[in-house]
Amino acid sequence: MQPSLEFLIKEEKVYPGALSCRGCGWALLVRHLASILGENTVYVVPASCFSIIAGPYPLNELQGSIVHTVFAAAPATATGIRAALDRQGKEDVTVAVLAGDGGTFDIGLQSLSGAASRGENILYVANNNGAYMNTGIQTSTATPYGAVTTTNPQNNYKKTWPKDLMGIITAHNIPYAATCSLAFIEDFRRKIKKAKDIKGFRFLMVDGPCPPGHKTEPAQSITISRLAVETKLFPLFETEHQNYKITYKPEKDLPVEECLKYQGRFKHLFKDESRKELKEIQKYVDYNWKRLLSLEARDFDLN
Amino acid sequence: MEAKTEEKVKQLFPRHTQKIMKGNFAAAEAAKLCKAGFIPAYPITPQTTIVEELSNKVAKGEMDATYVNMDSEHSVFAAAMGASLAGERVFTATSGQGLFYAHEVLHAIAHFRLPVVICNVGRPSIPWNIWSDQTDSISQRDTGWIQFYGESSQEVLDSVIQAYVIAETLNIPVMVVLDAFYQSHTSENIWVPDQDLVNEFLPPRKLTGGEIDGENPKAVGGLVPPEHYETFNYRYWNDINKTEELTIEIGEKFGKHFGRYYKPVEAVNIGPQTKMVLVSISSISTTVRGVIKHHPDVGLLKLRLFKPFPKNSVLEVLKDLPEDAKIVAVERNFLGDKEGAIIGELRRALYGTNYNLFDVYTGLGGKDVPPVTIEKIIYAMQNNPKPVTWIDFE
Repeated sequence: MQPSLEFLIKEEKVYPGALSCRGCGWALLVRHLASILGENTVYVVPASCFSIIAGPYPLNELQGSIVHTVFAAAPATATGIRAALDRQGKEDVTVAVLAGDGGTFDIGLQSLSGAASRGENILYVANNNGAYMNTGIQTSTATPYGAVTTTNPQNNYKKTWPKDLMGIITAHNIPYAATCSLAFIEDFRRKIKKAKDIKGFRFLMVDGPCPPGHKTEPAQSITISRLAVETKLFPLFETEHQNYKITYKPEKDLPVEECLKYQGRFKHLFKDESRKELKEIQKYVDYNWKRLLSLEARDFDLN
Repeated sequence: MEAKTEEKVKQLFPRHTQKIMKGNFAAAEAAKLCKAGFIPAYPITPQTTIVEELSNKVAKGEMDATYVNMDSEHSVFAAAMGASLAGERVFTATSGQGLFYAHEVLHAIAHFRLPVVICNVGRPSIPWNIWSDQTDSISQRDTGWIQFYGESSQEVLDSVIQAYVIAETLNIPVMVVLDAFYQSHTSENIWVPDQDLVNEFLPPRKLTGGEIDGENPKAVGGLVPPEHYETFNYRYWNDINKTEELTIEIGEKFGKHFGRYYKPVEAVNIGPQTKMVLVSISSISTTVRGVIKHHPDVGLLKLRLFKPFPKNSVLEVLKDLPEDAKIVAVERNFLGDKEGAIIGELRRALYGTNYNLFDVYTGLGGKDVPPVTIEKIIYAMQNNPKPVTWIDFE
């Protein structure tokens, strides 16, 4: 059997010398994304780690246009750009938002919902690293249960579950939404290609490794990302108009501890008195996986 | 019915049609005449009928524009920013809370140097109120937008047309402000210019080459380090300083073309005989005009351009005013300060002169300012002038 070369970047569309931290997911994310979207792309970036990584004035690491905009309104800015390009007959130009979880789950949720509801022809990519990492690891509503951040320190670790943004965005009945992992590059690239070719509002959520924020070894970013999928902490699935499809089903039942133990932000949960919290996380992950399986098994066709 | 072409030549303003219109409809008509191509919208009283009317014009095919119902004013202005960055001529309208909510993006539009034009129908904030007041727009004075205030709805329509020329010359956004209800919902006789007359005056937006076009990669809005930051401020400063002169030039050109002349300020009865000048903006100026006909020693200084403050024009019209004359600012704005905004601007403009400046708060939150209130102001300033007066509490 010929090995698949689908993970290869044939043509780089990102200049070398990204300003990201070692082991950050953004660099790999945009290399794959840009290689598929091509130069005829306008990237719209709200305040996020990527607004720094892409380069301060007058730099641009992307071989495409980039518009840095206000934190809360990247999808609205993208709406205006899209409308203008369409009026000028440039429907072939892709308009893509690159945002973090703060700009997606929290401050940007309203304008995200607005753009999704209007069916704007925009590709939205969220790098979900589970906290405000650019400002130095503050809790967002994407922060996982049990994690410590600088605003949920020590015993005051996060004791609420992250927002189900995939559920929220899917409920907008958009043509395509998917979760992606940098440890599953073929799956990621397939989803980018699929999203690129669909017209309307498309949403990709990428599990974002963040060594300074997650207290991990930079060299282990991909290993941990793979374990997040294998332990079902970050399941890979896609939805088309609310029809769910799980795109990777782990063969083994790996406990969540196998992924969490590499991350210093969960270190406290491994003390004897906190081990019950690991059980809670496992329970939640099991529940969520069953929920996804049942959503996938739902057999209805609204057409 | 439109008058026939030969009849339109003989009328007061040739190549116009006289219509009875509410101020908000005049604003919408102006956006149409200026061929705005992108209109992001969000409803808010008392602006709403502007965007409603624009959506009607687009739906009927009278206007070739992309109209989008946004999720908030913050998003409206962010979308306006995006479309303007990509080269479109953009129009929208808002009021009060909407303008406050958009505050962050107002800064961005101004300092991304985008020639967006909007109408703001003035209303205050808390306690809740939807009526006429200039607190909203004046509190956005420092966002970098040029601000014009229209005394009549004719002036609003004419100012929007001039605003696009000024905005697209300087690459600085312009806000044209009208009074809630007294203008927005009040019908006036308005001369609406023919489309081709406007086309001759306002060509399509001239692009600078810096626009996002999807083909020639560009980066806009990245983090600007300290060694470069001032360059942007300095360039903006150079251009905003041209506003007053450009307003005079464009007002003159507009007059020659349309028959109605405009300047940054207007002086009525200001000369060696004048003992008191009332300084006002928007529709209160009309009331003052009427009242001072009975007061030969009282003049009116109407401010049309408010930001940047037209210092030279103010000094010019006051040049024959005796130094013992009283200058009285009529403030329909409350910025939580001892004095209102107009007197502050006047103090800066008149620094080095010996005029006595007085401040009067009146008409806040839409309270009517009828001729009798103006009479009360004149009487109080003649007999018992205090530095700051709340005229209805005297």
